[in-house]
Amino acid sequence: MEMIVRTKQFFMGIGDLTYFAARFFKQLVRPPFEVKELLRQCYQVGNRSLLLVVTTGFIIGLVLTLQTRPTLIEFGAVSWMPNMVGISIVREIGPVITALICSGRVASGFGAELGSMRVTEQIDAMEVSGTNPFKFLVVTRILATTLMLPLLVIFGDLIALYGSSLVEYFKGNVAFKLYFNKVFEALSYGDLVPATMKSFVFGFVIGLTGCYKGYKTERGTAGVGIAANTAVVMASLLLFMVDFVAVFISDIFYEL
Amino acid sequence: MVTAPKSREAMKERSQDEVVVNIQNLYKSFGDNHVLNGFNMVLYKGENVVVMGKSGSGKSVMIKCLVGLMAPDSGRVEVLGKDINGLDQIALDQLRSDVGFLFQGSALYDSMTVRENLEFPMRRHRKKFANLDDTLPLVKEALENVGLAHTMDLMPVELSGGMKRRIALARAIILKPKLILYDEPTSGLDPITAKEIIELMRSIQKKYGTSALIITHDVDCARVISERMILLVDGINYIEGTYAELIKSEDPKVNAFFKK
Amino acid sequence: MSKTSLQNLKLGIFVVLGTLLLLIASYLIGNGQNIFAKNVTLHAVFKNVNGLQIGNNVRFSGVNIGTVDKLEMSNDTSITVYMVIGEKMRKHIKKDAIATIGSDGLVGSMLVNIVPGKGGMGSVNDGDELKSYSRISTQDMLNTLNVTNENAALLTSNLLKVTQSMMEGKGVVGRLLTDTIMGQDFHRMVSDLQQGSQRANATLTELQGLVQRMNMDKSVAGTLLSDTLTAMKMRTSIENLETSSMAVKEMAQHLEQIIDSIKTGDGLFQRVTRDTTMSRLLMETMENIEQGTRKFDENMEALKHSFLTRGYFRKMERESGDDRGKKQP
Repeated sequence: MEMIVRTKQFFMGIGDLTYFAARFFKQLVRPPFEVKELLRQCYQVGNRSLLLVVTTGFIIGLVLTLQTRPTLIEFGAVSWMPNMVGISIVREIGPVITALICSGRVASGFGAELGSMRVTEQIDAMEVSGTNPFKFLVVTRILATTLMLPLLVIFGDLIALYGSSLVEYFKGNVAFKLYFNKVFEALSYGDLVPATMKSFVFGFVIGLTGCYKGYKTERGTAGVGIAANTAVVMASLLLFMVDFVAVFISDIFYEL
Repeated sequence: MVTAPKSREAMKERSQDEVVVNIQNLYKSFGDNHVLNGFNMVLYKGENVVVMGKSGSGKSVMIKCLVGLMAPDSGRVEVLGKDINGLDQIALDQLRSDVGFLFQGSALYDSMTVRENLEFPMRRHRKKFANLDDTLPLVKEALENVGLAHTMDLMPVELSGGMKRRIALARAIILKPKLILYDEPTSGLDPITAKEIIELMRSIQKKYGTSALIITHDVDCARVISERMILLVDGINYIEGTYAELIKSEDPKVNAFFKK
Repeated sequence: MSKTSLQNLKLGIFVVLGTLLLLIASYLIGNGQNIFAKNVTLHAVFKNVNGLQIGNNVRFSGVNIGTVDKLEMSNDTSITVYMVIGEKMRKHIKKDAIATIGSDGLVGSMLVNIVPGKGGMGSVNDGDELKSYSRISTQDMLNTLNVTNENAALLTSNLLKVTQSMMEGKGVVGRLLTDTIMGQDFHRMVSDLQQGSQRANATLTELQGLVQRMNMDKSVAGTLLSDTLTAMKMRTSIENLETSSMAVKEMAQHLEQIIDSIKTGDGLFQRVTRDTTMSRLLMETMENIEQGTRKFDENMEALKHSFLTRGYFRKMERESGDDRGKKQP
């Protein structure tokens, strides 16, 4: 019995989220456009996450290179390090790690912020003030994450590659120029384009789940905590699902 | 339904076109929880009406139905002569610009300065207030009305609870509405600050001649501000009358409100 | 400066920097694929590209000068490889340069090597076709055919010698008749020879059929024939084969005549026994003949397995099998 109820709730949740997403697209194209608020959110999502993304990216690049070095040395393929690290970071690790970091920071932030606005009636106050709160709060936020995440991914990728090249420089005496030369030789548009497309979708997913959980918050202050928490969990889960689908789709357009 | 005779006579004296709020047979339920079971009330121009009820009695639901934040299950809600439920978004927005709303927890936007908070209701008149300087006189006026002119560039977190409530009040009146709805204006405030807020509400009403609908469970507040009171019990307008009339009532349900 | 405009400034820097990085990255990637530089397109036709892929490097004397842009199947065995090459390199590639398929190290990816020609030719132009060299090529097939011809010619001359000496010296045959083992050997040899000549005949008709098919449809061999030089070579080699097999046939007839005369004729025994040198010569000759037949068989076998004609022989086999199947339902 409980199983049935839970399953029903699950599908209701999916349906509700889909409706929320549809509402986003409907409101997105309809004027007025909240440009000022969009810029503010872009700053909050983009610039404010940059340090975090750059730090994790650097460490990931460093660690990935250090950990794979012994194996590659064993195979006598250590000169393939730039190719391997470059492709894995640009294709997969960069977008996914950046998205996860952002879902931790941004999705929970949106969940908590919109959740508290909901329970303190700020959203109602907006509605009464003649401003569409969905447009003002949700559309701007989702759009901001959708636009900013690819940029963050680019920064993250670059710093991760820089970290990796540092290891190669100190341990393998590989010049930076040679390292990046090899990386860009190994990369093709088949790596960069799907990864960038994917990043847009990741950004959308993070914004969507964060706003959805926040906007639909119930049950007072406790609900805010739940909203922030479930937003992160749901965003992370959805990110991996989207990633899975993205691999399939990019496989159609670019033979991997 | 027990109705105090005096208020009924007073009602008859007023002419029909002065009605600001007219609620007829309002029903609203959440699942099995029937909150409103045919609530009726009328608010006339320039009048201060207090609706009293226990928490969870549906006061907030009723006031949200007035501005279209909630849709009633059935019943007719007329505000300023217009049926709320029959309005499209644009007309509803127009109507809302004539209604000020003071929310229970002030509901100031945390991410904005006091000035931006006050400017927010003006967003609907983009063309009129395209220039930033156009809003300044209005903001200043509203802040002076609540005696907080110096807080203009502060953030809400830098303000005390009483100050926040006053800023919220300033935001509610900034477009000089014809009707102000107060949702628990004194809740969460100490008695002295509550008194200040009530004084402010009265002075504003005097200055702009607005009508006011106040929902509260604070008897002191009701006593000071109300010209007429409606007790909301069991989802209906249980009894209406002035404070003086109601306090004399023998009805136990009415008495329960006034016992200290 | 107010708070919001400072934020906008930072945001602007962030966005511009990010977009710039993306553009630089795509430029660098594109640079590797010669997308932004001025390019010329060259193409070459290969029989087999050994797993060459779009995007593989094109090397000229060991220097990466471009990438493979497109692979096009012209027909079932010829593949046109389009290569994009930097305009700067164009002047170094002469019109007689040869394109080959190679690989970059033991585990490396495939690539197209352009080998400079003898020189003295002008530079290539956009859209030019380069000569190609495939390892398993028409050259290989023609080489095989040539060897076959040579062997067949040798065999024929040897056989001719034998028959002539037989015609002249009749003593050999007498000895042949007394020596039973020798006689059996001779018989086997003759039947081998007959088989050989029959096979030669069959091969000849098959080859003729092949040539006709080559002329008719546009198979690999068809394209081969469009190259007149190759066609000429092929034709001469087939003609050689024809004459040599004719000679084999003729020689076999001679042999038969001899055997007949041995069977009918008498008084020859004395002479054969007396002439030992002659008989030794005959034995050597017979060994030569045997060797020759074997070699011819081997050559025919080689022809069957040769890359080009293999398919045709298989088809023949299948058809004959089908015929049999039809006859015995």
